[in-house]
Amino acid sequence: MTDTVSSPAPTVAVEGVHKRYETTDGAGTTALADVSFTIDPGEFVTVVGPSGCGKTTLARLVGGFESPTSGRVLVDETPVTSPAPDRAMVFQAYHLFPWLSVQENVAFGLVEQGVAEDVRNERVEAMLELVGLSDRASAYPAELSGGMKQRVGLARALAVDPGLLLMDEPFGSVDSQTRRRLQRELLDIWRTVEKTVVFVTHDIQEAVLMSDRVLVLTGTPGRVRDDVTVELPRPRDRTDDAFIGYVDTLFDLVETTI
Amino acid sequence: MANDFSLRSGTEHGHRTSTRDLSRKWDYARLRRGVFGTAAFLVVWWVAASTQPTYLLPSPLEVGGALWGELASGALFVHLGQSLLHYLPGVALGVTAGGALGIAMGWWGRLDDVLTPVVRVLRPIPPLAWIVFAIIWFGLGHTGAAFIVFIGAFWITFYNAYSGVENSSRELLEVATNLGIDSEYRLIRRVVIPDATPELLTGIRTSVGQCWMMVVAAELFGAPGVGYEIITSANNLAMERSVAYMLAISAVFLASDWGVRRLEARLLRWQP
Repeated sequence: MTDTVSSPAPTVAVEGVHKRYETTDGAGTTALADVSFTIDPGEFVTVVGPSGCGKTTLARLVGGFESPTSGRVLVDETPVTSPAPDRAMVFQAYHLFPWLSVQENVAFGLVEQGVAEDVRNERVEAMLELVGLSDRASAYPAELSGGMKQRVGLARALAVDPGLLLMDEPFGSVDSQTRRRLQRELLDIWRTVEKTVVFVTHDIQEAVLMSDRVLVLTGTPGRVRDDVTVELPRPRDRTDDAFIGYVDTLFDLVETTI
Repeated sequence: MANDFSLRSGTEHGHRTSTRDLSRKWDYARLRRGVFGTAAFLVVWWVAASTQPTYLLPSPLEVGGALWGELASGALFVHLGQSLLHYLPGVALGVTAGGALGIAMGWWGRLDDVLTPVVRVLRPIPPLAWIVFAIIWFGLGHTGAAFIVFIGAFWITFYNAYSGVENSSRELLEVATNLGIDSEYRLIRRVVIPDATPELLTGIRTSVGQCWMMVVAAELFGAPGVGYEIITSANNLAMERSVAYMLAISAVFLASDWGVRRLEARLLRWQP
């Protein structure tokens, strides 16, 4: 194994993806139907949609946690078949290892990749500083607030230096103040690290605030209703008329079915 | 599954805190009631014993005298040492083997399918029922008694390890593969075992306690040790000596249980 684990920001191509789940009664449900889109390197793309539209499934497919029933997911031209550190995921429910301290959680992926200890420690320290948790390095997850847990989740994902960062409603479990702070922090971090981001949320304001592009998924099974490019300079102002305009447009797209 | 985890740790935790709180700050009301209960028990025992000959029910004083005698002569330590000779290897091997098989069967579904029928049939058999084989295979010595203890520790730990692994968090396994684990060995080492540690420790603590009962029971059949002293004293109608050795078992049980609880608190310090 090498000491450097950096992966450049990749392109993502989702091509004609269907995802069907078999249920015990044999009926089965289709979560996604004929979903296709591409994401450019370094782009911040948000997937919005009502609950049940399959947006989490979509993120899991890109992550390789599940396989499409038909169609394919390509990351830098390579089909995705299993989870890998170059596509690190940040989960809504954090999923920190409760028996590991904050720094051990962040170091997890680096340990598994055989990164030398001194390089690893340096990297963990840098990540903790990036998310503002240097002073809680030896705390256990149970001792942290929701916002801090998600900072650890983010630091743990960023530590392996993935080219693609997958975020499944990452700020869905924290209070609104913390949420706003985390949104700001994530944008700051994204500016400093070259990463493609797929960000799933049901919060349309969040989508407009954060992303270069917003994919609107609607219906059961979920289909791509629209693909909206947010042409606003950052930092964005929620009270700005153009901002509100985007939010209204997206609201209409999400609310009305095809 | 994350919920499941906190639920599990929650109950375990409640238990531990209550003992820890007590050691930190004496609850005098509780202590008073405990002293009262003990005194009442001793009085009832004493009164009952005064109406009976010693060989039917020795008095607390006679038992205290016998205990002192065994302590002073050093005989108690000799016999405890003999029992430890059965207890320690039996527990150590039983916990290791039972834990390993429990983890393996909890993790590999195929192995689980293959062995489940056998396990279902063998598990309910009380360890002491194996005494016949212990005697035939190993004779009435240390090995036979250790074998009984082994069986007891094996099943207790097996069961806890198995359910601990079976309930392990699918989400955390996903996170681990996402962060680069690609071998089952690493997954078991880094996620499955730590995730099952609360259950594993419960299995170990239960084994450590229950096996004191088993070692005594096994020695009743003739292997030298505390159990053997209990039965031979009784055969000689020296009931006060039997009870003294019964109390010795109680003491080592409490000591080892305390030890494992300390270990548990240390290993599970990450729990809320």
